[in-house]
Amino acid sequence: MPGNLLEMHHITKIFPGVKALDDVHFTLREGEIHAIAGENGAGKSTFIKVLAGVHQPEGGEIILDGEKVVMSDPIVAQKYGIAAIHQHAASYPDLSVAENIFIGHEFMTGPFINWKKANAEAKKLLESVGANINPKASVGSLSVAQQQLVEIAKALSQNARILIMDEPTAALSKQESEDLYNIARRLRDKGCAIILISHRFEDIFNLADRVTVFRDAKYVGTWDMEKDHVDSAMLVHNMVGHDIAAYYPERHPNIGEEVLRVEHLSRTGFFRDVSLSLRAGEIVGLTGLVGAGRTELAETVFGIAQASEGEVYMFGKKCTNSTPEQMMKMGLSLLPEDRHKQGLLLPWSICNNITLPVLEDMKKGAFLSTAKEKEVGDKYHKELRVRAPSSETLADTLSGGNQQKVVIAKQLAASSKIIILDEPTKGVDVGSKAQIYEIMAELASQGIAVLMISSEMPEVMNMSDRIYVMSEGHMTAEFDAKGLTQNQILAAAMPQERGN
Amino acid sequence: MNKLKENPFVKKVGINRIMLVLVLLLMYLFFCIVTKWKFLGLSRLVSSLNYAYFLGFLSLGVTFVIATGGIDFSIGPVMFCCSLISGYCLKSYGVPMGAALALAVGVGLLFGIFNGFLVSYLSVAPFIVSMASMNIAKGLASVFTKTQSVSWPQLAEGGWYRQLVKIGNVPVGLFILLFIALICGILMGKTKTGRYILCLGSNSEAARLSGINVKKYCMLAYVICGVLVGIASIFFVGAYTTVQPGYGDQYNNEAIAGAVMGGTSMAGGVASIAGTVLGVFVISLLQEGILAMGFTKDYQLILTGIIVIVAVYIDIAARRRKN
Repeated sequence: MPGNLLEMHHITKIFPGVKALDDVHFTLREGEIHAIAGENGAGKSTFIKVLAGVHQPEGGEIILDGEKVVMSDPIVAQKYGIAAIHQHAASYPDLSVAENIFIGHEFMTGPFINWKKANAEAKKLLESVGANINPKASVGSLSVAQQQLVEIAKALSQNARILIMDEPTAALSKQESEDLYNIARRLRDKGCAIILISHRFEDIFNLADRVTVFRDAKYVGTWDMEKDHVDSAMLVHNMVGHDIAAYYPERHPNIGEEVLRVEHLSRTGFFRDVSLSLRAGEIVGLTGLVGAGRTELAETVFGIAQASEGEVYMFGKKCTNSTPEQMMKMGLSLLPEDRHKQGLLLPWSICNNITLPVLEDMKKGAFLSTAKEKEVGDKYHKELRVRAPSSETLADTLSGGNQQKVVIAKQLAASSKIIILDEPTKGVDVGSKAQIYEIMAELASQGIAVLMISSEMPEVMNMSDRIYVMSEGHMTAEFDAKGLTQNQILAAAMPQERGN
Repeated sequence: MNKLKENPFVKKVGINRIMLVLVLLLMYLFFCIVTKWKFLGLSRLVSSLNYAYFLGFLSLGVTFVIATGGIDFSIGPVMFCCSLISGYCLKSYGVPMGAALALAVGVGLLFGIFNGFLVSYLSVAPFIVSMASMNIAKGLASVFTKTQSVSWPQLAEGGWYRQLVKIGNVPVGLFILLFIALICGILMGKTKTGRYILCLGSNSEAARLSGINVKKYCMLAYVICGVLVGIASIFFVGAYTTVQPGYGDQYNNEAIAGAVMGGTSMAGGVASIAGTVLGVFVISLLQEGILAMGFTKDYQLILTGIIVIVAVYIDIAARRRKN
């Protein structure tokens, strides 16, 4: 049995008012993939930041190669061979791939950077992870999956022995995830130890040799995936602290009239000739690979981007290329995929975030009424079980799942009749996921039409009444969700030769 | 300290504003002591208030712009442009006083529309737009007045506008400033318009996806600023009567410093009107104090420069700590 490369004992980290880590343990063997699982706010990110030298722990010790070390700052951690690939890739979009990989340790010839060597080395590194990317291309022009490979190449260029992957597949399609799994396995077999953080059980079951679970900043346990027969029910039980009875809520769809119809809609460069319809009380899944044009379609329907051809009808009325303001007035709202960038006002309270689209109704005479706002804020704070002391709590102190609930609350407050949810459970923990599903089912039962854009097959198949599949900007299939298999969806989602 | 922050009174008024009041009192005491109590007299206070009026309106205006995440470096020169053009019309074309005052506000409004349109509808960076309109304002005023300074009439010559600043010993200007600040405070904190302006500065993408007409409200902030700059120009001549073309830049920094000291974040999304007013009082008292101590105005420029940097740094440090 290989020895422990890294041991972390009794790690405690205190932030003003909160214990973010409370006596946590972790060991990492050479050449293993060790997953850390836990709900949002369980302390995974803080733990990683302690290891990477970003945070200094109040207590505990870090032992690397049998010697006690202090990660006083990120540069020290880097020198010890620890590299992190972050959820939101921390790259420079305007710089080239080679520049990104070698930033901070450039090849120098005298006072000048040796670009020839940098580009050649970058190409070699990228090929070693099976990526065929031009080292001179700007990183901003790459897909998310490719950007992640660049990040991995960057870690390798620093001779990383311990690679931390934080939600690496969150933005990847099924195929891209598979590719990433292969790369991770190859790195492990070369002797690199990998710490994997992921909300996707698929990632953990596919990759991890062992798993450690944190809950509420405390250490729960470490298990060997094979020997201990780890399954998802057991993981959920340990992460949440109790069993989640029904992960997907039972639904009795009561489907009404058509409320939204999209006819032959096109947006040059993104999607072509897409038609779909949505009825009251219905949950419709829209799936496909990342880059299939789903988000762009939603944005065009909502009026953020202009359609080049085709029509959109709401409640029978033509509303192609209206502004988001007009669409919201008619009863449509969109939950954007990137809630940090597009959904939340982080320095604002939960309450002020929720009432933003409905300020008109918060008025008492000409002025906004704090009491009215608080009433609405409190209502949704309670109904959606947002985990925060009060509706006055600032949005940036919430965990991802709870932030997502606030964004959903914002749309509920806007009394929308049609809601488009773009990856509603992306980066959200298990407990909150189940709650979001429950909320979706509840909305549908109230007669609200829900269009759910998602790459996660299980939720698409379990939540939807009907499913649309897009591939490379085309609508390739429409299914009734009953009796559908995952393979049917995947077949429609795969890119294929088309005559256009 | 943490306990103090939890106190309901402190929480409501804001620790920042309480500190500013303390700073004001301490500064006053300091100037009194170093000038051997010569500073105590009414005349120094009046003179400091004269400075606070026009600066206060400028600072209120720029607070709206900063709240959207923008910046306006044209307010000082635009203020001069307003009082020069309207004063020239008053003197040379015989425009009646009331119309001249309206014209002053109108010129400010036009600059606000100009800046706002470029920033919001044409997406030109606020920094560039305001730098450019600063030059335009200076040049326009010089061309209009043929590079001559303009003196507005004294009270005895029918200059009733001076009574907007004070009647006898009654500081009318102070009441007007506080009244308009109150309106601004209500607008910012209690109306939809104010909330929308703040949310632009906080996250304009999220605002857009919440169905808010981002361009309209961004433009509106600049227009409000323009009107307030126009009002500032009336109070500038009300206090000093004479304006010279080609100047006004230094008031940009002082007005911005007033807003930032008061708790308005340069990153946008957070603004305090009460804080702005207090910040302006600090700066006006400071400039009067420096003169009273026998230093030239140049020292005040140095100090304001330092204050801007310190105030912005405190804002950044506070936000960094939160993260």
